[in-house]
Amino acid sequence: MSFLLVLPILAPLTAAALAAVLGWRPLTASVTVVAALCVLVTGVILGFTNGSGVRFAIANLFRTDALSITMLIVIGTVGTLATWASVGYIDAELTHGHTDAKGANLYGVLVPVFLAAMASAVLANNIGVMWVAIEATTVATAFLVGHRRTRAALEATWKYVVICSVGIALAFLGTVLLYFASLHAGATSGDALNIDVLLAHASRLDPAVTSLAAGLLLLGYGAKAGLVPFHTWLADAHSQAPAPVSALMSGVLLSVAFYALLRVKSVVDLAVGTGFLRTGLIIVGLLTLLIAASLLVVQTDFKRMLAYSSMENMGLVAVAAAAGTKLAIAALLLHVLAHGIAKTLVFLGSGQLQAAHGSTRISDVTGVLARSRMVGVTFLVGLAVLLGLPPFAMFASELSISRALADAHLGWVLGAALLLVVVAFAALVRNGSRMLLGPPTPGSPAIAVPRSVAAALVAGVVLSLLLGLTVGPMLELFQTAATMLGGTR
Amino acid sequence: MTQATYNGVLNLAAGAFLLAAVLIVWRRELRSIVVLLAWQGLALAAIPVTEGIYHDDAALIIVGVVVLVLRAVILPLLLVRAVGTEPHERRESTPLVNTTTSLLITAALTVLAYAVTRPIIALDPSPATRAVPAAFAVILIAVFVMVSRRRALSQAVGFMMLDNGIAATAFLITAGVPLIVELGASLDVTFAVLVLGLLTGYMRATFGGTDLDQLRELRG
Amino acid sequence: MSAATDLPGLTATALQVVAVVAGAPFVVGGMRQVRARLEGRAGGGVGQPWRDLRKQLRKQQITPAGTTVVFGFAPAVVAGTTLLIAAILPLIALGSPLDSAADLFGVVGLLFLGTVALTLAGLDTGTAFGGMGSSREITIAALVEPTILLAVFALSVPGHSANLAAIVSATADHPGQLVSPGSLLAFVALAIVIIAETGRLPVDNPSTHLELTMIHEAMILEYAGPKLALVEWASGMRLTVLLGLVANLFLPWGVAGAHPSVLAVLIGLVAISAKVAVLAGVLATGEVFIAKLRYFRIPELLAGSFLLALLAVTASYFFATPT
Repeated sequence: MSFLLVLPILAPLTAAALAAVLGWRPLTASVTVVAALCVLVTGVILGFTNGSGVRFAIANLFRTDALSITMLIVIGTVGTLATWASVGYIDAELTHGHTDAKGANLYGVLVPVFLAAMASAVLANNIGVMWVAIEATTVATAFLVGHRRTRAALEATWKYVVICSVGIALAFLGTVLLYFASLHAGATSGDALNIDVLLAHASRLDPAVTSLAAGLLLLGYGAKAGLVPFHTWLADAHSQAPAPVSALMSGVLLSVAFYALLRVKSVVDLAVGTGFLRTGLIIVGLLTLLIAASLLVVQTDFKRMLAYSSMENMGLVAVAAAAGTKLAIAALLLHVLAHGIAKTLVFLGSGQLQAAHGSTRISDVTGVLARSRMVGVTFLVGLAVLLGLPPFAMFASELSISRALADAHLGWVLGAALLLVVVAFAALVRNGSRMLLGPPTPGSPAIAVPRSVAAALVAGVVLSLLLGLTVGPMLELFQTAATMLGGTR
Repeated sequence: MTQATYNGVLNLAAGAFLLAAVLIVWRRELRSIVVLLAWQGLALAAIPVTEGIYHDDAALIIVGVVVLVLRAVILPLLLVRAVGTEPHERRESTPLVNTTTSLLITAALTVLAYAVTRPIIALDPSPATRAVPAAFAVILIAVFVMVSRRRALSQAVGFMMLDNGIAATAFLITAGVPLIVELGASLDVTFAVLVLGLLTGYMRATFGGTDLDQLRELRG
Repeated sequence: MSAATDLPGLTATALQVVAVVAGAPFVVGGMRQVRARLEGRAGGGVGQPWRDLRKQLRKQQITPAGTTVVFGFAPAVVAGTTLLIAAILPLIALGSPLDSAADLFGVVGLLFLGTVALTLAGLDTGTAFGGMGSSREITIAALVEPTILLAVFALSVPGHSANLAAIVSATADHPGQLVSPGSLLAFVALAIVIIAETGRLPVDNPSTHLELTMIHEAMILEYAGPKLALVEWASGMRLTVLLGLVANLFLPWGVAGAHPSVLAVLIGLVAISAKVAVLAGVLATGEVFIAKLRYFRIPELLAGSFLLALLAVTASYFFATPT
């Protein structure tokens, strides 16, 4: 069973090692897809066998509980879709000369390392190890964002590395302060940072120091999750990265960073009461929603539009976490999963549009539905999911989040959030319809879709439909996770 | 090592640490600020070594030596190589905040650091913890340096100073974090600085210089 | 003991004032001679400032048209405040009849009064250079006065008293404090502000003849004859007094106690003369190797020294060993 716990980390690392030795070729690309599938399968198996318990491995450094299994499934799903699409995407880039062999090799090594780092972060029991893993994702994705080596890509990479590193450094300071408080609450130095130990000693943690630590952790991990005030890297990095990487970053990395915040929240709420982080998350979440909605209205670039949509969703997730009830957390997890799959769909589609048009301006792209059924329909489905339309899953999750906010007596927050979500809705509808519907302008280039990208797109649509129709066995997982995070209401 | 010597050395190390940060804000030559960063790394390494000698903890001394090699030698060397060879490359261009105002802001940040760290000292009033405000001040000063500089290398130096400050805080209040976290953190910092150094090189090749004001294409 | 019967204290104070009055031109002359020798010149000799003073005192007093009493009284105010400081500071002996006024804030206030008097005199002449010198001088003073306060305050923290005599005796009793971070930072900050306050390189070149580079000299361009002699003398006395202050704050050995004997007073006199001579020599040597800063860089330097003084205060407070 311990082997199963470390498989999600070992499998992608093996794929990375293979890619480092052999370079980019069909074999190594397929091995990466298999590794991502391993992550997903492990998550599913653990989900069926773990139940509501908590399991540890390797000297209590790793843990699995309902929350980490949920995140593993998210990583596995989006990872499989993205790596599957990467096969065709990178081959197309090599053919058209947008990248060279060295770039493709680097891509092939960094993507599985990225997946391994994310898996480590969600499986870690020690929040210090969790921090190291999240910092590793920044380092791994730095050159993925700068894959194309254009001026814009370099600018985006610099901003991304600098801002996220500052944020993650602040998170480390918060971790150190939490360690300090934990030592003074009676924990032994070896495992004072373990989540189970922290939870056990939570009532004895010094409130002032813990509040300071919580503030720093909110700022720091919020930076990686694209929350205000360290959000300025998000649009640049997600729009300049190659499409499968954008899908991974938007779909999963933001959620993994937020997962870290959730873990910290469970400890801090016991130590200083729910009020502190609730206020912090409300302020940060609403500000993020405001900025994302405002910038969505004036967008002229469709990849940046999708990036701001991710930011909007993270703001909504932050507000849901502020509510903190069982329903809120369960809805939040469903939202994260559905958003991950939907973002993959739209980013992969936009990658093909960028390859066809050579630009990412919204005004350059018209009549996609008429020109390519594959890209058009899947983009439409993805947008529909993001807009929160029924019968897709995000309709259910947003409704549940609204209900949870009302239950938690946060009516004014609900009102503000709904208003901003409606603004974002309108902006997305306007831009999406301009791009998808209507006749294409004459002379528009043909949209080619490599086979693996098409396969990933179809799989993504099927998954979105399934998730929308029935949450199925995931429901129990979500509920167990929600109860664990302290929501008893 | 007597209590008095321990206090004295710790205070001197923390004071030198903060002084190096102040001088980094004051000076504008890129090469000088990297050298000052190396001195700061030396002052930082003195803290775990002193604590290790006082508490007879060999692991801490080893960690101190590793910190010394990493933060006082290797990383500054990496950064020095990223300083350009052109004369106009070697100085910080007019900073966004002039030097006088920067120094006065640094004074304010130092006072803020003392105010913010009072709960920490209240929880554990040992001599080591009482030097934490200096480390916290360095953290705030580092964030200010990163925000107010125009050259890529100055931002990288600011980032390293931020990391030094956090490491100092960790050593002062808890005699370091668990070894695996320390190793991971050091590795991450090394990789981050490597990435920054490489990016500076690419930027010089693509933009013809490392003035961050040229990074203006991505807006909205 | 009341002031009237505190004879040894009174003697020491009177001796301090006389020594400062007589010795100030020698200090200035000594510094000029050291500079000259290091630059390979013969120099005018250590007594040259005295000869200059004698020459100026015999000249006719000329007052520019359009000036008011401010111009007339400023030299007296500067000289007077400096003499008062010389009487207050613990230069030769610690106990002085003015001990109750030997407070840090009092001394800094008197220094500032002298600076303001001269600044107003510069404005009073109505010339362009006078106004320029005055505005530069007051800019520097604005940054220098808080720094002096902070730096000496940092030194006063271990002794828990802002009385200068108490600070000096506390340092003499616990010489280990001198190597604490607070003291070291305070020393650097004080060195910078003393240089700024007394108008030495790199802040101001005292021997310049280029008006546009002047700060102190520009204010006194219109003075001639006896008033000029008084102003120059007062500047020399300010330099001597401040050097003496720094010497006794950081090297307090040789200072006579509160109720000194004649021998102790004489030893104190010799000690302070030696210390001031050495400090003046070091300052002059440093000046040979430093270029004058451009005027707009001076606020940087002074802001830096302010920051160092602030750090000295915080270091003294928060790094203090718990007793």
